Amino acid sequence: MIADQVRTIWCRELQRDDIALDDDFFALGGQSLIMARIQAAFIEELGVEVPADQMFLNPTVASIAAYIESMDAVAQ
Amino acid sequence: MILQGKRVALPPAPVVHRQFEKHAQATPDAVAVFCAGQRVTYAELDAKANRFAHFLAAGGRGRGAKVGVCLDYSIDMLVAILGTLKAGAAYVPLDPAYPAARLQLLLGQIPGLALIVASPATAGLVESAAVEIVDLEQLSGRLAELPETGPDIPVTGDDICYAVFTSGSTGTPKLTAVRHEGWFNLMNWLMLEYGLHSDSNNLVVSALGFDLSQRSLMTPLFCGATQYLMASRNFDAAMAYRMLTEHEIRTVHCASSTLYLLVDWETARRGEALTRLDYVLFGGEPLKVERVLDWARRPGNTCTLLHQYGVAECTDVATSYDLAEYRPGEHDIAPVGRPAYNTDIHLLDERLCGVGVGEYGEICISGTGVGAGYLGGTGPEAERFTTIEVDGAPRRLYRTGDRGCVDQAGDLVVFGRMDAQVKVRGMRIDPTDIERALGRLAGVREAAVVVADSGDSELVAFIVPEGDELAENDVRARLLETLPRNMVPARFINISLIPLSPHGKVDRAALVAMCRNQYA
Repeated sequence: MIADQVRTIWCRELQRDDIALDDDFFALGGQSLIMARIQAAFIEELGVEVPADQMFLNPTVASIAAYIESMDAVAQ
Repeated sequence: MILQGKRVALPPAPVVHRQFEKHAQATPDAVAVFCAGQRVTYAELDAKANRFAHFLAAGGRGRGAKVGVCLDYSIDMLVAILGTLKAGAAYVPLDPAYPAARLQLLLGQIPGLALIVASPATAGLVESAAVEIVDLEQLSGRLAELPETGPDIPVTGDDICYAVFTSGSTGTPKLTAVRHEGWFNLMNWLMLEYGLHSDSNNLVVSALGFDLSQRSLMTPLFCGATQYLMASRNFDAAMAYRMLTEHEIRTVHCASSTLYLLVDWETARRGEALTRLDYVLFGGEPLKVERVLDWARRPGNTCTLLHQYGVAECTDVATSYDLAEYRPGEHDIAPVGRPAYNTDIHLLDERLCGVGVGEYGEICISGTGVGAGYLGGTGPEAERFTTIEVDGAPRRLYRTGDRGCVDQAGDLVVFGRMDAQVKVRGMRIDPTDIERALGRLAGVREAAVVVADSGDSELVAFIVPEGDELAENDVRARLLETLPRNMVPARFINISLIPLSPHGKVDRAALVAMCRNQYA
């Protein structure tokens, strides 16, 4: 499940034990430095470059995971 | 104590768009702007900007008018900016990444706002009954009927070219105006002193509202080079690094914290794109030199790091330092170097008398870069612009509120602020601006905001709740609706009482100490 992988990355970079699928990245204290680290982790661990604008538009684990799945669908 | 910049004569009419027009004449087919796979030549950009200038002037929005630019990075953004300048008007950048509520607050502070250029993606943010909004795309039919030659509106070096919002000390942002002569002098200095030329292609990586972004946007066009823009509303490290890898880009202007991100990105991937640049011009906040030093000393790194200092009120950059001269044993803090052309740095005490060599004083700036002051309203900030006597002659001067000294090598070193203002990720922020926004939230009785240093500088808010303790996530989410992200504190701490100093002011030192204990 991509959502699980995304959640693991978010928890690590935001230094949280757990994050709900609909928690807001910015409300969790996310900012640009953390976002860049998450973007890098997506490239290295999931093999996708997610544009920063999409991360701003999809600030939850559920929505960004759905976006990444749609990217994969297009790629295939 | 005065540090004098070299005196370099400017043309009789130091007008920024005239320099761009020279290149449009000399190298019409050179690429001026590249964005998202689209490119425009100097001749094409000049013609588009001329048409928009005619449109503005015909509608009575020429000399002296203010034009808001609320666009994502695009070729149209430079059409709007150059067209505004050619019409003799000044542009005001409005960052579409800001919440609509913040943009509306800023709009109310722009005197003589004649028009806003927006796109379908941004128009909703700046909707206002009072001001007309135009979309260059929709306008293209009308623009096509206007002449592609310049409207030739007389503009002088003293006219305002742009105005940006800076933090005030009263909790509301102030609009500070820059003159053509100052902006021309800044870019002329970068071009001559650092040898920028028609191959000095640039990538814009900063947010539109910054003063440094205005310089980053215009410098390549001033030098006849190509400007690369990212079609991204927010800073995108992956896209920026990919652009640097794929294109012949030679310069980047950014805040120190953006440089750290790019250096980290390159280091993690063992890339070379950043080391191949000619220059990174950076500053805007205290430099954590250890974040870049290893990378800077990599064998084969040909990139010169220019550590710069300045304020928006005096056209963005006042001094520059080549970080290659930095010696960890000798310097505690990386200096910011020597003044730009036609710029002097004064270190003054509270009576505006010069301090001695090696002594601390308030950093004051005089010379060509001193701006036209704050537009609209005469707050307490207006007093920062003053006149002193130097060698028997009156000199206009701006008191920055920054504290500094000159080291033995003759370089300026900055040591924080004289007042409560803070710098976080390149942006000067007034904590009272954030405190007011917090105070307006339901459930908040009182709030105080300070900067703590936990490795990275970050804002910490102390909140006195009306009743029950407030949840951090909830307060942050509500604040994000009214403030730009870089002004939203990283942490929120509930407290029963804000500590006050003996003078009855917020005891910020005590709050900073409380942050430190929290980290310990």
